[in-house]
Amino acid sequence: MTPTTPQELAGSLRAAAEKKQTIGLRGASTKRRMAAAGREPAIAISTTSLNQILQYEPKDLTISVQAGLRWADLRALLAANRQMIPLDPPYAQQATVGGVVAANTSGPRRRWFGTARDLVIGMTFIPIDGLAVQTGGMVVKNVAGLDMGKLLIGSMGTLAAIASVNFKLAPLPEATRTFVFSDRNPEPVFARRDEILKSVLQPSSLDLVNPAAAAKIGIDGWSLLVRAGGSQRVLDRYSRELPAAQVCEGPAESKLWESIEEFTPSYLAEFPAARVVRVSSTLREVRAVAGTLPGPVVSRAGNGVTYGYLPPETRWSPPAEWQACYEYGGGDDAWLNSGDDLPLMRRVKQMLDPDGLLNPGRYYGRF
Amino acid sequence: MIPADAKRKLTEIAGNAFLDRPEDMRLYEYDGGVDKALPEIVLFPETAAQIAAILRVALDHRIPLLGRGAGTGLSGGAIPCRGGIVVSFARMNRILEIDLDNERAVVEPGVVNLDLTLAVQGRKYFFAPDPSSQRACTIGGNVAENAGGPHTLAYGVTTNHVLGLEAVLPDGAIVHTGGMGQDHPGLDLTGLLTGSEGTMALITKVTVRLMRQPEAVKTILAIYDTVDDCANTVSEITARAITPAAVEMLDGVMLRMVEEATHAGYPMDAAAVLLIELEGLQEAVEEQVEQVRDACAACHAREFRIARHAQERELLWKGRKNAFGAIGRVSPFYYVQDGVVPRTQIAPTLRAIGGIGSRCGLTISNIFHAGDGNMHPIILFDARKPGDLKKAQRAGEDILDHCISVGGSITGEHGIGMEKVELMRHLYSEESLEMMRRLKSLFDPDGMLNPGKLLPTGKGCTEIRQLPLVNEKTML
Ligand SMILES: Cc1cc2nc3c(=O)[nH]c(=O)nc-3n(C[C@H](O)[C@H](O)[C@H](O)COP(=O)(O)OP(=O)(O)OC[C@H]3O[C@@H](n4cnc5c(N)ncnc54)[C@H](O)[C@@H]3O)c2cc1C
Repeated sequence: MTPTTPQELAGSLRAAAEKKQTIGLRGASTKRRMAAAGREPAIAISTTSLNQILQYEPKDLTISVQAGLRWADLRALLAANRQMIPLDPPYAQQATVGGVVAANTSGPRRRWFGTARDLVIGMTFIPIDGLAVQTGGMVVKNVAGLDMGKLLIGSMGTLAAIASVNFKLAPLPEATRTFVFSDRNPEPVFARRDEILKSVLQPSSLDLVNPAAAAKIGIDGWSLLVRAGGSQRVLDRYSRELPAAQVCEGPAESKLWESIEEFTPSYLAEFPAARVVRVSSTLREVRAVAGTLPGPVVSRAGNGVTYGYLPPETRWSPPAEWQACYEYGGGDDAWLNSGDDLPLMRRVKQMLDPDGLLNPGRYYGRF
Repeated sequence: MIPADAKRKLTEIAGNAFLDRPEDMRLYEYDGGVDKALPEIVLFPETAAQIAAILRVALDHRIPLLGRGAGTGLSGGAIPCRGGIVVSFARMNRILEIDLDNERAVVEPGVVNLDLTLAVQGRKYFFAPDPSSQRACTIGGNVAENAGGPHTLAYGVTTNHVLGLEAVLPDGAIVHTGGMGQDHPGLDLTGLLTGSEGTMALITKVTVRLMRQPEAVKTILAIYDTVDDCANTVSEITARAITPAAVEMLDGVMLRMVEEATHAGYPMDAAAVLLIELEGLQEAVEEQVEQVRDACAACHAREFRIARHAQERELLWKGRKNAFGAIGRVSPFYYVQDGVVPRTQIAPTLRAIGGIGSRCGLTISNIFHAGDGNMHPIILFDARKPGDLKKAQRAGEDILDHCISVGGSITGEHGIGMEKVELMRHLYSEESLEMMRRLKSLFDPDGMLNPGKLLPTGKGCTEIRQLPLVNEKTML
């Protein structure tokens, strides 16, 4: 089913619920296997025909769009006004806005700009009983009522269908420049990261890759990738502060970052049976995490979020004390160590979808 | 009435740290807002386990209960409008951990906001949410209200800086959400609880993000002969892709009150001023100063002053942050509103506020976080005049209805509390409210935690009495 209005979307959900049919919520279906593939649903509802721009006033630095709009189209529209939503999600060409938000995917610039939880200012979502629920609004500061949007972000479509999303926007920087530090050993690279973290520099991205990942994006050895934005004068200051780095600008720079942002999709295209593990750690622990993971490693080293790529046949699993999950390939046990708040999450799920019909099993196999 | 055996249990759990004499209860019947109601007992626990035990007794005996930080809230959040128990976080005020390598701190909820920044500023870090009440308000209160402040324009509000919580649910269960790291799998309960105004859980521990101080800071005072020009500068700055750390606006009435009280050097004859702060790398700040100068000139600023040194900067901010004290000198009674509009709507909204003021015969002055469209009209009135408070509240409601009509919100940072419960219906559909009620009931099925707040259930719970809103003693 491909509803063309939120009312139709609500109607489809309600109809399926009445028949107790399981439902697969779909955007562009780029992340069908993310978190957990779940059980095959009885019917699929796609948001791809809900692709309107609902409201956009560049001077307000906000936009409201329907969930089925392609991320790439949204990005192009904003870029034409020299604005952006700096989420840098994977599968950026095909993914829909709703999918990006429901999967809470993000990218390198989260160091400075944060993730969907920081950039989404409002949302309309439709739980299975067809209620049209609005949360937040079109202003950048708003504490009226519960911040329900936070629950939907990253919920993998297991709580409700996202019908539209409102974002706050940022101006595009005048220019950007990327500095790459590479070394055969990890220590000097981590030392560089620590220096930058403690310095007055405010890079938008601070990613670190191990040699196996570096090889796949055309660089060498352990590498730290630092991206700065601003005027020429500001970028020249970065150049002075970050000597001994390889400098990357223009099309080569865009290509480098695209290969980082699309690392997961490319890897899975090459090895469809691979597992991708995502580790949440402190900034300090990134060193040990990156050193322990077998296979390619891409780390948001300024956030403590590290992606490890486990080739098929690799018999390795993360140590029990890690906060980790399988973004891909974990089967029904993708969330390795849930905490004492899992019962509450289950209660939220139960309240919104008592029969467990929405995207069954897709929440890391937990619901 | 709390039954005697329940009271005995409660005081035992609190290790005798409690107050219950009528004269003491009077200190806990108000916050920074307009409403008042007396609790029966105030408890001062020191641990989450004590709080869990207190909640279990409260639930068993069906005694309403709420948490209280510093009581600076402006929407009646900490008012025990159904009586019962107040849990004060005054004794849970330790900074438990500061880990600058990881840009994190773990604090108890009673830590005063500014104390966290003071604890790390020597090492060049800060806690970004900076409500104007930061010398007094607590981080637990900030989490409950999702507080903002002047610099949240650049750095985001409280929710953007909270990574994890320890919370006690009304049934006494202690849960941990989020944590030191980011992107833990799991629904974002941290984000849901932040801003839930103490109606779903009591927060007993908060993991926050700390930020590195910027290299350079410049503070600018832009002075205008018309309010419109001043307001239009805000969207002009946005249009020019400049991203200041703070843009605060003060209108003429406010300027004169502030200047008389603090001698911050604000012009007495201007129609309005903007206080603009730019932060970041030296080069970026220098460039932005020039860009802001151009934006202000394009909007006919009469004068553009840059603070020459830290002392001048502090003086300008002192004027802003002590504004409420300054009003107290002029008008013994005032009512602070909190609405939000899209940035391009600031000028028309100020005109609408002026119109509402003249229609009801009250002076309304404005001092607000202009950069993100967060209006704070301050309605001056005289509570000794019969009907004046009613008029002030009516004016406040009209202003908020205007905010809604231009696509805004009824609160940007002070919360719904009991003050705006009924206005929630103006902003949200019944379906949206119903979903919020269901979520609230999931955490608090018996409705024992901070009842009468945030969600409209029908009737408001107390009559509003005519008393000073903020008196000199509690001035910050
Ligand atoms: C002069 C002045 C200026 C202000 N400026 C700003 C501003 O710039 N920005 C802004 O956002 N606000 C501002 N405020 C409002 C107020 O300071 C904030 O809302 C602040 O966050 C409240 O903190 P508190 O500790 O005083 O909380 P309280 O007033 O004690 O409580 C507020 C709410 O939080 C709940 N609560 C408190 N602690 C906990 C806990 N541990 N667990 C669960 N619930 C809890 C209470 O039940 C209540 O509902 C201002 C207030 C004043 C008086």
